[in-house]
Amino acid sequence: MACTRAFTRLTMKRIAVRPAVFTRGLASVNDTHARDPISKVAEKIVPDAARAPIPESKTSTIKEPEPTKDAKTKTFHIYRWNPDEPSSKPKMQSYTLDMNKTGPMMLDALIRIKNEVDPTLTFRRSCREGICGSCAMNIDGVNTLACLCRIPTDTTKESRIYPLPHMYVVKDLVPDMTLFYKQYRSVKPYLQRTTAAPDGREYRQSKEDRKKLDGLYECILCACCSTSCPSYWWNQEEYLGPAVLLQSYRWIADSRDERKAERQDALNNSMSLYRCHTILNCSRTCPKGLNPALAIAEIKKSMAFT
Amino acid sequence: MASIMRPGLLRQACTKPAASPRMLSTITTTSTINRPLAQQLRPAFQRSVMPKSTRIAAFHATQRNQLLPPLPQKILGTVNDPAPVPNPDYAHGSYHWSFERIVSAGLIPLTIAPFAAGSLNPLTDSILCALLVVHSHIGFESCIIDYFPKARVPLVRTISMWALRIGTLTLGVALYSFETNDVGITEAVARLWHA
Amino acid sequence: MASQRIFQLGLRRAAAPGLRVQPAGRMVQRRLAATEHASQNQAAEILAKQRIARPVSPHLSIYKPQITSVASSLNRITGITLSGALYIFGIAYLAAPYTGWHLETQSMVAAVAAWPMAVKMGVKAFFAFPFFFHSLNGVRHLAWDVGVGFKNQQVIRSGWAVVALTAVGSIYYTFIG
Repeated sequence: MACTRAFTRLTMKRIAVRPAVFTRGLASVNDTHARDPISKVAEKIVPDAARAPIPESKTSTIKEPEPTKDAKTKTFHIYRWNPDEPSSKPKMQSYTLDMNKTGPMMLDALIRIKNEVDPTLTFRRSCREGICGSCAMNIDGVNTLACLCRIPTDTTKESRIYPLPHMYVVKDLVPDMTLFYKQYRSVKPYLQRTTAAPDGREYRQSKEDRKKLDGLYECILCACCSTSCPSYWWNQEEYLGPAVLLQSYRWIADSRDERKAERQDALNNSMSLYRCHTILNCSRTCPKGLNPALAIAEIKKSMAFT
Repeated sequence: MASIMRPGLLRQACTKPAASPRMLSTITTTSTINRPLAQQLRPAFQRSVMPKSTRIAAFHATQRNQLLPPLPQKILGTVNDPAPVPNPDYAHGSYHWSFERIVSAGLIPLTIAPFAAGSLNPLTDSILCALLVVHSHIGFESCIIDYFPKARVPLVRTISMWALRIGTLTLGVALYSFETNDVGITEAVARLWHA
Repeated sequence: MASQRIFQLGLRRAAAPGLRVQPAGRMVQRRLAATEHASQNQAAEILAKQRIARPVSPHLSIYKPQITSVASSLNRITGITLSGALYIFGIAYLAAPYTGWHLETQSMVAAVAAWPMAVKMGVKAFFAFPFFFHSLNGVRHLAWDVGVGFKNQQVIRSGWAVVALTAVGSIYYTFIG
């Protein structure tokens, strides 16, 4: 784009230039000019005294920051796997960043690596404020949202970033969440009701009933809890996992829903719900501070002795 | 074209004296062969910047010989189909759970009593034995369900389940015989402990 | 590529030194990567093929050991230790009349009494630690089953309390009781 535009301008000025560079497609190794710095070659193209090359230190508006003496460099080890090389094994790649020039959160570091060091690094991110749940990953051994996770200020410790544990990896830090969403769909996460509201208006709820949904409706389905659960690791196909069970309880606990019994029956088998052994990794890791383990315990209690 | 999109990178490459000749040449040095493909595919000026700040290491965290490694991913149905919901099975669901809790809760007083009283009378001792057998059976059963998925290793699952059932039955008979012919389990443990 | 870049940079300098932002849309754009259209079925096939090659992300080996998961796995391991010992004893007891072992309490007590002190302590510790841990953690689990103590801090505190009580109880019963 730039070249065509510049070229048209140039021809309007009627400056006939035909340096050797134009005659070939690619720079060859034998060409000595090809090894010159850019400013030198450009000078040869346009031998105009008025346009003598100005050193880059004067032309550049953005100055490279001085390499600070107290640069806080921190190393990040990041899980990499490229689907274009399916036979290759996943590997860990290390990046070093100066923390003085990086934002405070892990997501800032990842974005900086992608922008400035390695554009092939792949990860999901969207809202950068912990409400979309896209950037869920395993950072320093714990599942969390990269945008809500501060980079530890201790630069001697190296950070390790993996995708969510025991998930099929699409690329680098991006896991395939298809099964997770299919399981979410299987608990029918919507209001099921056949009777109309008595006054023909919206379905009303007392303040106490509404309060029961606090700590449940805030779930953003980032899958941090489900993928921290060893039971979910071993029996992903059949066990629903903390996040989906919390969502299920969100509808079981809703006073407006009329299919409580059906919802409970859908969980009443050996696998869907009862693979939960109250390991409690889920509550420990939830980046939103929710308590999936308590929700599961409430489901179990509501179904016990019935 | 990339230079238009990333003037910052280009500038970085230019200021570094080592990078600029690299940028303008297409020589394939021997060292590039050893680099991973992903790194080789990026433009030359980036390649020259990269190795200074990044290193690639083989991934060591996964074990080479995994026990029961997961199968290749297979998704049944389209993305818009829900995961299948199994039929309700109360005997293995809520009833089983409630029963398990009753047994576990019942074990608490029977475990504390011998510490307070020294040993148990034959009746409570045999109740303890029965609860222990059931509790152990349920515990082993849940281990088998957890670690030998039916879809993955059906044969191992069936064999281990039957082995467990036979083992539990044997244990029941053995404890019955021990209770009737010997001093009882709490008394035996107490005597062995102080032997 | 390289020569193209030099060329364009030189021209940019020559034509307009201040030129930075290029207006988009007017120029002919050359795409270096080609895309081809795939029908829904073809796309599904491609996806299925990709899925087969996908690795599973690391799990147990990289997840941080926390009191929650460690206590839970220890609960299972200790349970298996105790129940396993019970099963082995049960089967051996039934087999004893045919194999000539003496597994009656009296003869076992006599045999154990003859062991050196260190062996006795070792065996006692082998059973005391799992027993106390499994019993105390079992109480913790029953509390959770009625919905008590689910806050993160409570879980962590009760977990370490179980560890401490296990240590105290089993050391007492190994060496003194």
